[in-house]
Amino acid sequence: MSPSAALTSEVFRYFAFLTTGLLVVGGAIIAVVRFGFARDVSRAWDAYRGWLVMIPVIAASLFAGRAVAICFFAIISIIAFTEYARATGLHHDLTMTFTSLGGIVAIGAVAIASDPDTGVQGRFGLFMALPVLVSSALVFAAILRNKPKGQLKAIALTLFGFLCIGWMFGHVALLANARNAYGYLFYLIFAVELNDVAAFTCGKLFGRRPLCTNVSPKKTREGALGAVLISALFPFAVRFALPDFSTLECVLAGLIVGVGGQLGDLSISVIKRDIGVKDMGRLIRGHGGVLDRIDSLLYTAPLFFHFARYTHGM
Amino acid sequence: MSGVNWNYDTAIDGELSFVDRLRECPREPDPFVYASRFVSALAIRAALKIFHRYDIVGREHLPRDVSFVLVANHSSHLDALALLSALPLRSLHRAYPLAARDYFGASDLRLALTTIVANLMLFDRNATTGLQELKRCKQILDESGNVLVMFPEGTRSIDGRVGVFRRGIGLLLAGTRYPVLPCFLDGTLRAWPKGSLAPRPGPIRLVIGDARTYEGVEHTDGNVLQICDDLRRAIVALAPEPRTQRVRPVSKEAY
Repeated sequence: MSPSAALTSEVFRYFAFLTTGLLVVGGAIIAVVRFGFARDVSRAWDAYRGWLVMIPVIAASLFAGRAVAICFFAIISIIAFTEYARATGLHHDLTMTFTSLGGIVAIGAVAIASDPDTGVQGRFGLFMALPVLVSSALVFAAILRNKPKGQLKAIALTLFGFLCIGWMFGHVALLANARNAYGYLFYLIFAVELNDVAAFTCGKLFGRRPLCTNVSPKKTREGALGAVLISALFPFAVRFALPDFSTLECVLAGLIVGVGGQLGDLSISVIKRDIGVKDMGRLIRGHGGVLDRIDSLLYTAPLFFHFARYTHGM
Repeated sequence: MSGVNWNYDTAIDGELSFVDRLRECPREPDPFVYASRFVSALAIRAALKIFHRYDIVGREHLPRDVSFVLVANHSSHLDALALLSALPLRSLHRAYPLAARDYFGASDLRLALTTIVANLMLFDRNATTGLQELKRCKQILDESGNVLVMFPEGTRSIDGRVGVFRRGIGLLLAGTRYPVLPCFLDGTLRAWPKGSLAPRPGPIRLVIGDARTYEGVEHTDGNVLQICDDLRRAIVALAPEPRTQRVRPVSKEAY
């Protein structure tokens, strides 16, 4: 990944056209509904404005090259963890918060570094071992503080946040080291967002039976099933991004996104319901916090990473 | 609060934007703000040592583990930074200089920069709403380990003379057990006077006086003014003996 590679990459060009086209079409639909039918579109407009900022930022960071993209994902992860800390009350505990943020920085560093023996980019083994190292670092921080009261709770809460938001999401950064980095990254991000939209739309259109009332009252079984179906078919629409995937592998890649995306969404909902907040933050207008936006990536990233690595290597 | 028995205390300012969070006081801890403040505090402490030969006398008077008030003469933007740098790093995020809302809260950028660096607590300068703000000051002082930094003159002096103290400090301290330390800052006026854009090098000296309280003092108008006067005297008494101006052998203007 580098600016020159991005310019010659067909995948990058296709997705640039695809997202620009979608933004134009989406904007046109909103404009028609607003001015043609004089309906209230303020919520759709807020969400659209969020995408108007997010898409160029993501595209620019992927364009700028491997290291920049990994740093970008690390920053996203840091912001999301901060939101998690503020929501759970962990932010009062500075030692734990900063230890975990240090772990996220380490994830970025490990993803950027290359193996001195083989020259392979990204230190895969160290990356997989990081949760162990961070959990011992958290206990070590508790020892240094010399205050045992309440430490197990603090360590558990911090470690869970680090695992979900730092390490699991960190697999996206690791994907930037793949040979087919553009294909994997664009496919994953695009498919996950499509999955969200599909679940919402199918739920609106056909939703009857609720999926998980106490966790997320608006989600329906029909919406979930429709999203899984659409996600399973989506890889065939962007076959160019996954060039050497067989038909079965395409379906599996789609199912990973369809199932994993909704599981990630629901698991963040569990946390939000438990704490009693609606959104984790309000950084992105019309979307809530960064963590609300990346929740569907939490499970899909590691699943897709290992799937792609197992079938085609990095 | 830190780490012990918290019960999912979600940040109460979740609905506010980043800058509006900084406007509030006391504030929720924010990792980004804390990290930036820590780095800038190290830089400021180093700069004061290098460019201003910063000298602190009477550091041993700073109380440990209790909240206290630092009161000083005011002639420069460097005053608050110099006083904050005299405190130990562990109270970095727990020391609040009171700052005029009409000046520091005027623009979002100014507010964000100064609050990230110096942990400002915005304060209304007029008398009616100012009384409400004193309640917040008391709330902060009632928690242990906090520091309030106050400049009771209410504005920067342009000639280095210590002006009349506003009543706020007396209203805050009358009949309370909060220790207050008078401090005298020397050299900040020359280093960064009102109206000039950036500081220039020059020695700065801080003298920290003995802690005192006004616990037995009754809360009456007369006593409030008395406290202001007493503190002002204490600060002026910390000033070094006025040195006789050295006469330059040759005037620069002659050339």
